[in-house]
Amino acid sequence: MSFLKRFPPPGEGVRRQEPDTQAVLGDRGLGTGTLYIAESRLSWLDKSGLGFSLDYPTISLHAVSRDLNAYPWEHLYVMVNAKFEEEEPKEAPMGEGEEEEDSDDDIEPIAEFRFVPSDKSALEAMFSAMCECQALHPDPEDEDSDNDYEGEEYDVEAHERGQGDIPSFYTYEEGLSHLTSEGQATLERLEGMLAQSVSSQYHMAGVRTEDSAREFEDGMEVDTAPVVAGQFEDAEVDH
Amino acid sequence: MEISHSVKERTIAENSLVILLQGIHGYVTTVDLRDESTAVGRITNVDAFMNIRLAEVTFTDRQGRVSQLDDLFVTGRNVRYVHIPDEVDIRATVEKQLQLIHKVRYFGGRDKGRKEFPTARHK
Repeated sequence: MSFLKRFPPPGEGVRRQEPDTQAVLGDRGLGTGTLYIAESRLSWLDKSGLGFSLDYPTISLHAVSRDLNAYPWEHLYVMVNAKFEEEEPKEAPMGEGEEEEDSDDDIEPIAEFRFVPSDKSALEAMFSAMCECQALHPDPEDEDSDNDYEGEEYDVEAHERGQGDIPSFYTYEEGLSHLTSEGQATLERLEGMLAQSVSSQYHMAGVRTEDSAREFEDGMEVDTAPVVAGQFEDAEVDH
Repeated sequence: MEISHSVKERTIAENSLVILLQGIHGYVTTVDLRDESTAVGRITNVDAFMNIRLAEVTFTDRQGRVSQLDDLFVTGRNVRYVHIPDEVDIRATVEKQLQLIHKVRYFGGRDKGRKEFPTARHK
């Protein structure tokens, strides 16, 4: 149990505090204490002041389990993407399964925590508090890091008025004059698709006028069927 | 189906396929996780970071043990696949979500109401 440390309970940003909660790691009980679901981290401290903390980026998932066949008490289940000390390793399974499980452990360390509150009715609130805190910690290593859509970098209204500051983006009028014949053909094709998909809501009698065409030149990919991989490869706008 | 209250999340959603997942709230879906476990349940929420919340879940862990979970929250990082239900029309769902976002953004008319994005010239 040497990963247990003494530390003061979190003071700020505690969304939910649940006393009289048992903590279990794997199949080892750690005692009874208080669970602190705080915005910065998840902490549990037993009555003597010993406990541990989990950082949200390491938490893969959490859930409310009321399935008494799977585990005899209703609890909050938390799966962590990290290794914690457990006691003797579990009995190795026989046969072909053995090798696969070993390699799994090498790649993906997993620790399973269960928090069993005395007050079962608190589980939903504990779950929700964790969801909220988890959402505060988006994955910084997200490979799809095209998520820089904040404030001035992405000035939708300014682009509509033709006052965008980003040099790679053309307003409707400017852009037309820069089109090659291939670009023109692409534009016509996309506008055709656009007319089909939104005409019922935005136009009278399905007729696209100049004004309504301009309405949609707001800097976003209005191509609303991004199902095919590589569809954005020829996109001119660099977000 | 509900549109996020966050400007940033709306923008992220409309520029990625997360918007598709947000359109299938309420459907029973299979989510394969990165560690080879699987969760089958009803989608109650997907945010812009692809964090997925499921209800009434049958969870099969990577060792094949099955259990029922009332509520499950998986972080986006740990999602490998989401099996879009066959009955979902993908294109229509994406278009519908985009229209919902546009309704929120242009509430009050294009030039009326509060601007969603601050502009340098308005400072």
